[in-house]
Amino acid sequence: MTLFRTILFFFIFITPLKANTIYDLIKIPNLEIYETNTTNKLRYLYAVKPFRLGINVKKNIHCLNPDKKTLDSKFRIIDKNLKRYSSKFLKKINLKYIVLCENLSIAKINTAGIPDSMMRTLILDINFNELYFERAIHHEVFHIIKDSYQELFNEIEWRNFNIKKFEYSDCSTCNNRWNLDSYSETEGFFTEYSKSTISEDMAEVFSHIMFYQNKIYSGDPIIEKKIYFIKKKITMIDATFKF
Amino acid sequence: MINKIKITKSERIIFVFIILLGTFTLGSLLIIKNKCLFIKNHKPNNIEFNNRENIAILNAECGNVIIELYPNISPNAVARFKTLIRSGAYDDAAFYRVIENKLIQAGDLEFGKRENLNYGKVGTGKSGLGTIQSELDTEFNYLRGSVGLARTYQMNTEDSQFFIILQDEPLFEGEYTPVGKIIYGIDVLQKIKFVSKFHIVPRPDYINSFKMLD
Repeated sequence: MTLFRTILFFFIFITPLKANTIYDLIKIPNLEIYETNTTNKLRYLYAVKPFRLGINVKKNIHCLNPDKKTLDSKFRIIDKNLKRYSSKFLKKINLKYIVLCENLSIAKINTAGIPDSMMRTLILDINFNELYFERAIHHEVFHIIKDSYQELFNEIEWRNFNIKKFEYSDCSTCNNRWNLDSYSETEGFFTEYSKSTISEDMAEVFSHIMFYQNKIYSGDPIIEKKIYFIKKKITMIDATFKF
Repeated sequence: MINKIKITKSERIIFVFIILLGTFTLGSLLIIKNKCLFIKNHKPNNIEFNNRENIAILNAECGNVIIELYPNISPNAVARFKTLIRSGAYDDAAFYRVIENKLIQAGDLEFGKRENLNYGKVGTGKSGLGTIQSELDTEFNYLRGSVGLARTYQMNTEDSQFFIILQDEPLFEGEYTPVGKIIYGIDVLQKIKFVSKFHIVPRPDYINSFKMLD
């Protein structure tokens, strides 16, 4: 019994002490502060070493530390886009920490970002698709919004916007050929990736609204309905939100 | 006939040297053992305060820590803190979580008191008064010496546990409800027992008393 207690005591108290404020707050190792002095109180952190995350032993989320030059140049783009969200709105959607890293992957599939509304964190791959990088930022923000307000974004209502015979794919990573190019003929979807899942379709609509603003394509009745839906729901979260 | 042995000069010098060395060693041992030797103990009676109703005095092994509370920033949290201080609830509470030069945490009234310290549960105890809402709307710079209420991973779970930071922590703003800041005696906290590789301090130091000035 004494031996058992000694072993228990050892494991409880002699665990490696991660005296690291960032790790304590968001449970991601190897991060340091990049910028905290922001108008909307977002905290930007960056990986100083590669990190692995995951709820089981496999830790299937992986990201590398970026080089300083790339980080500085990408930060300007990210900051320009994210400062469009007010601190009030960010608080409502549970987003506070932006983690910047390189070659982000989940189960070895590259991804632009990983949102975690519980930890109020969005991990962003600063090297993800140069062409659509800015749009991808808003796309990932939408996932945080939807996670925080699941009840608002009714998927059955959304599905009914599409033509009856259309079926979404089973998952967003089931096909690695999903393309992010915007269609010239939309036919209800902004991109091929929109066709993957309802959640990705919503995120693509939101990212197009945010990126193109007033220049957004109109004329497709399905797209019009989807834009109206997203704008209405976002306004329900924050009536002062500026698209 | 007994011949008197005369002490030579060099023997005398060696004798004096040994005596001096012994005295120095003993003195050094006493100085090293007394961790509070160079810590100034601030006596609140010798200090003039403008807002005596918001001054709290925490007494630990090396002296007093004088804290100014900020009811304008966190009215509910400060009210809870004052209630617990006035009731003497924090007396004999352990500084159970101490990270060197970084943070000190105390105030587990259920599992972290001198008479019933429970190493397996310390940090999870409650006060019996229920939890309160986080108060994070007012800007507050978490500079060295700031005092905040601890919580679980979820917001609005503040109760009696509090922490004091020993270095600036810019990421704490908007995360933890602030209650005040140390105005005198932070050195006293630098001397609180810590063990570098331990999360929870075995045989920790305790709060002797925690009182409001008025």
